Amino acid sequence: MQRREFFKKLGVAAAAGAVLPSLALSNEAAAPKPKGPNELSYKDAVNAITGGKKVVNSPLVHLKAPEIAENGAVVPVTVEVDSPMTENDYVKAIHIFATKNNNTRCIDVHLTPANGKAMFATRIKLGGTQEVAALVELSNGTFLVATQSVKVTIGGCG
Amino acid sequence: MKKSIKIALALLLASNVAMASDQFSMSEADKAMYAEMLENNPADIMIESGSELLEANVGGNAGLAKFLKVSEDELPKMIASFPRYMEEFKMVVGLDQMLQGAMSANGHKPFTLKSKEMFEMSSYVKSIANGEPMSIDIHANKHMEEAYALGEKTFAQKRGGRGLSCMSCHSPDAIGMLLRTQGLPDLGAPETKAAATWPAYRMTKSALTTLQKRFQGCMENALLAVIPLGSKEMVGLEVYVTEKSKGHTIAIPGLKR
Amino acid sequence: MSKRKAIIKIKPNKYANGEVVKVNLMVMHPMETGMRKDKETKATIPAHYINNVKFVYNGKVITTMNVWESLSTNPVFTTYMKIDGEGELSVTFTDNTGEVNEKSIKITPKG
Repeated sequence: MQRREFFKKLGVAAAAGAVLPSLALSNEAAAPKPKGPNELSYKDAVNAITGGKKVVNSPLVHLKAPEIAENGAVVPVTVEVDSPMTENDYVKAIHIFATKNNNTRCIDVHLTPANGKAMFATRIKLGGTQEVAALVELSNGTFLVATQSVKVTIGGCG
Repeated sequence: MKKSIKIALALLLASNVAMASDQFSMSEADKAMYAEMLENNPADIMIESGSELLEANVGGNAGLAKFLKVSEDELPKMIASFPRYMEEFKMVVGLDQMLQGAMSANGHKPFTLKSKEMFEMSSYVKSIANGEPMSIDIHANKHMEEAYALGEKTFAQKRGGRGLSCMSCHSPDAIGMLLRTQGLPDLGAPETKAAATWPAYRMTKSALTTLQKRFQGCMENALLAVIPLGSKEMVGLEVYVTEKSKGHTIAIPGLKR
Repeated sequence: MSKRKAIIKIKPNKYANGEVVKVNLMVMHPMETGMRKDKETKATIPAHYINNVKFVYNGKVITTMNVWESLSTNPVFTTYMKIDGEGELSVTFTDNTGEVNEKSIKITPKG
């Protein structure tokens, strides 16, 4: 009896613990929505850019996004690439993806040596907790990538 | 046996709570990232519109200074002292109601208090006082004393189905606790500067929001009957919260979740 | 050309030739995803988002962007550019409805 009650309580406590993390995922659990006009998976979007070329995880790509986003509507993202940005060696493009949004593409930024610095910042919408990815194309044709997981919460009150 | 179960349960609960706070309070790095966003505050564009609206409806800063019977140099200090009692209205008013009067005096039909135009114009006007310390004077006259007292009372008034008041979340006991990742702000603390950083851009609403409008949002979500903008109680609340930010430097527009 | 509100800011305010400066562009735009429903009519709000941004400095295209609906409402774009003589930075942004806007800022290097 005592034991059963304990497990009942345990169940309640575990459920209470689970409520918060699942909040962020509630979007995925909801009934299927129209997938929007530009639906494209992360894999397909990357392939469309790289043409299937190898993509390397690289410490040269610094992707900064909050670990915990206080709201999904405005999530700051900054990408900086270590590059001299000269005519012979520069970053041609920075692509930002929200890997679980219906349309995973956020923006393609095409740079030139005239930028002087390979850095781009913006704010994106995230439909739920997911990885944000920065795909970088160098002038020599190589592709680099960095990812970061962002937990989307519904912060505060209203 | 009983005792060990209790301990196990207590540990389990404690670990759940700890886990929740570990995961859901924002790191300093995350907070810094959000703070950096102030450099590009979309509300800057709305404030620019507000400046054009003031030009068209009140004759710009010069017209406003004339309406408030001060020189243009004295205008920022004057604006920093709002809400204040104005003889023309025979009541304590915020910047928005003062601007309604100024529009009338210039032969224009005043914008409603809840209009986007009024939010933009009053936000621009408050930004004229950027860099000035908030200088509300609740002892200036009996009207201000009454408005402050009414605000204090309204702040503590338990209302609605859940019997909540502003105090439920913003009393010294509640301050610092987490409400879905967000620390409950001490409306008087230097780091909050509540009244000094409203109007602000609300990221969740993608809109410019005034302090009174924010109070309304709070009331709505806490299931309290919403007090109208510009009512005695609402102005009282603004007076009460503004007094808590007294001395803090005005920096408009703010940027809030 | 329509007149959508936008702000371009160069940081720092004072800069010299050869210096790399930060360029901030902010635009008032709803960035509708095409997936939201109107609360009252329940009708789907059509997608309406900026799809292209182009930065031109003294006639030379320095940055172009393809943009999708995942950018936040009232989007912000921050890039860098190397100051290379007096002139103008002009930004053209178009959206998926065909609306075209242009905003420019004078570039005046000191020293």
